[in-house]
Amino acid sequence: MSKILEVKGLTHTYGGNTPFVNDAVKNVSFDIENGEIIGIIGHTGSGKSTLVQHLNGLLKPTDGNILLEGKDIWDEPKKIREVRSKVGLVFQYPEYQLFEETVYKDIAFGPKNMGLDGDEIDKRVKEIIGLVGIKEEYLERSPFDLSGGEKRRVAIAGVMAMRPKIIVFDEPVAGLDPRGRNDIVKIIKDYRDTYNATVLIISHNMEDMALLADKLVVMNKGNLEMFDTTENVFSNAGKLKSIGLNVPMITEVFFELKKMGLKVPDNILTVESAVDYLLSLKKGGVLNA
Amino acid sequence: MDNIIEVKNVTFEYSDFDRSKTVINDFSIDIKRGSFTCILGHNGSGKSTLAKLLNGLYKPVKGDILVDGMNTKDETTEIAIKRRVGMVFQNPDNQLVASIVEEDVAFGPENLGLSPDEIRKRVDESLKSVGMYELRKSTPHHLSGGQKQRIAIAGILAMRPQCIVLDEPTAMLDPKGRKEIISTIEKLNRESGITVVLITHFMEEAENTDRAVVLNDGSIIADGTPKEIFSNIDMLKRAGLDVPQTTELLHRLKTNGVDIKTNVISIKETAQEIYSAFHLEEN
Repeated sequence: MSKILEVKGLTHTYGGNTPFVNDAVKNVSFDIENGEIIGIIGHTGSGKSTLVQHLNGLLKPTDGNILLEGKDIWDEPKKIREVRSKVGLVFQYPEYQLFEETVYKDIAFGPKNMGLDGDEIDKRVKEIIGLVGIKEEYLERSPFDLSGGEKRRVAIAGVMAMRPKIIVFDEPVAGLDPRGRNDIVKIIKDYRDTYNATVLIISHNMEDMALLADKLVVMNKGNLEMFDTTENVFSNAGKLKSIGLNVPMITEVFFELKKMGLKVPDNILTVESAVDYLLSLKKGGVLNA
Repeated sequence: MDNIIEVKNVTFEYSDFDRSKTVINDFSIDIKRGSFTCILGHNGSGKSTLAKLLNGLYKPVKGDILVDGMNTKDETTEIAIKRRVGMVFQNPDNQLVASIVEEDVAFGPENLGLSPDEIRKRVDESLKSVGMYELRKSTPHHLSGGQKQRIAIAGILAMRPQCIVLDEPTAMLDPKGRKEIISTIEKLNRESGITVVLITHFMEEAENTDRAVVLNDGSIIADGTPKEIFSNIDMLKRAGLDVPQTTELLHRLKTNGVDIKTNVISIKETAQEIYSAFHLEEN
């Protein structure tokens, strides 16, 4: 594995030289390997969104650097558009950003702006709708006639059609029911596997993070509080709670069992592993106080 | 207790040009005065349509809806119905109209033509009951989603409704905001006796309600106390609902032969169930 993205000493100050001056991100550093799925968690206002907007150059660091494939993205400011096609950003409720007359045109918008020729655009649109599960007959419909879940998939397809090496999602499953959520989770994983891409996901849903993320970036008041494997971060329930964050519900149950005086592991993150662990106890193990 | 809302064999369909789609199908439900009812359903199950039918924003294609005995189809009682049943929607940003919190809350009572003293009184009371009185002079767009949603609720309260219908009020909020809203609504129901109909796809939010109704394809597929509903996990999954990990764990243990209750949902209760099921076995 190789480092695809390095965040080095990133600081961002909003409203410098005004009474509203505010350090939204303070001296944050971490590296991401190619192919990883990284979760970013933190309170509203902890700096998550400010952080990710630096990754494709929407914001310029007040201090520090963003290295993409070893190269500072601001070395040649005129080439920042290239960075934007390598690092795709899917905002929260991306379906609100659909604007074209047809689904086809909406998905083709990004690739077109990259200056690709018509055949390549056509190829990419058709390929990506397969991945996100949109039927070909929908391509000539207005995106506004689709259901909420379909609109979101079209909006995501529009970013994916640019084939970014890194794709960043801000709350990709917010407002969806379990079925819609599973669809999106599958799309994210399929994209990573098909294009050997790297994924960053901002979410408040710790249960989804436990299922999806290899590592977690934990933000608190603009600082990087933790950066570690998902398992290690969630084993540290006490620390997460002290900054007002939750662990997955299932981890919380085991935390409670521990408080009741039982010896149970810290690293139960999914229902699956909890069932396996408890059933293994039943076959002659002990759950001693 | 009598019924504040009676829904009688209601059918509702959307139609545009050549297509029509039935979203509520021969649906009946009574909402008791002072009760707290939670309506659960996945996206597209018809729950938002139902919400809009309850205070006459939509009119039934077939059947009738009576609010305090008044039919929502009757145009002469339209205003009386909307004063009795207030609505809170999903997106807090779409519901605020003024640039100062207290002015926003005053918008409804001003339109009722009340005296300035009465408006002042209602605004202050409403803001206090949602815990936003201290921030009454702030600008809504500087506040968090949970705070904005509480202002939207205060705006409805200032109209002194007998019933509030909330359509996924927490869907766009972070976990902290969600907790704020749920405890605010629980308090309004408990302390002020306001009838609450909470529409959501988060099962956890139904935990402390009197009654949970599960909607699928525009019909009721289950109706009971939250504990009764939560123990039927197969039905919940069929209905495309979020089953909390706690309930899921207990259910999976039970299907694997562990003698354990499955109708609990809170973390504490779940831990206790596991504790007694496993710990006692050893001794």
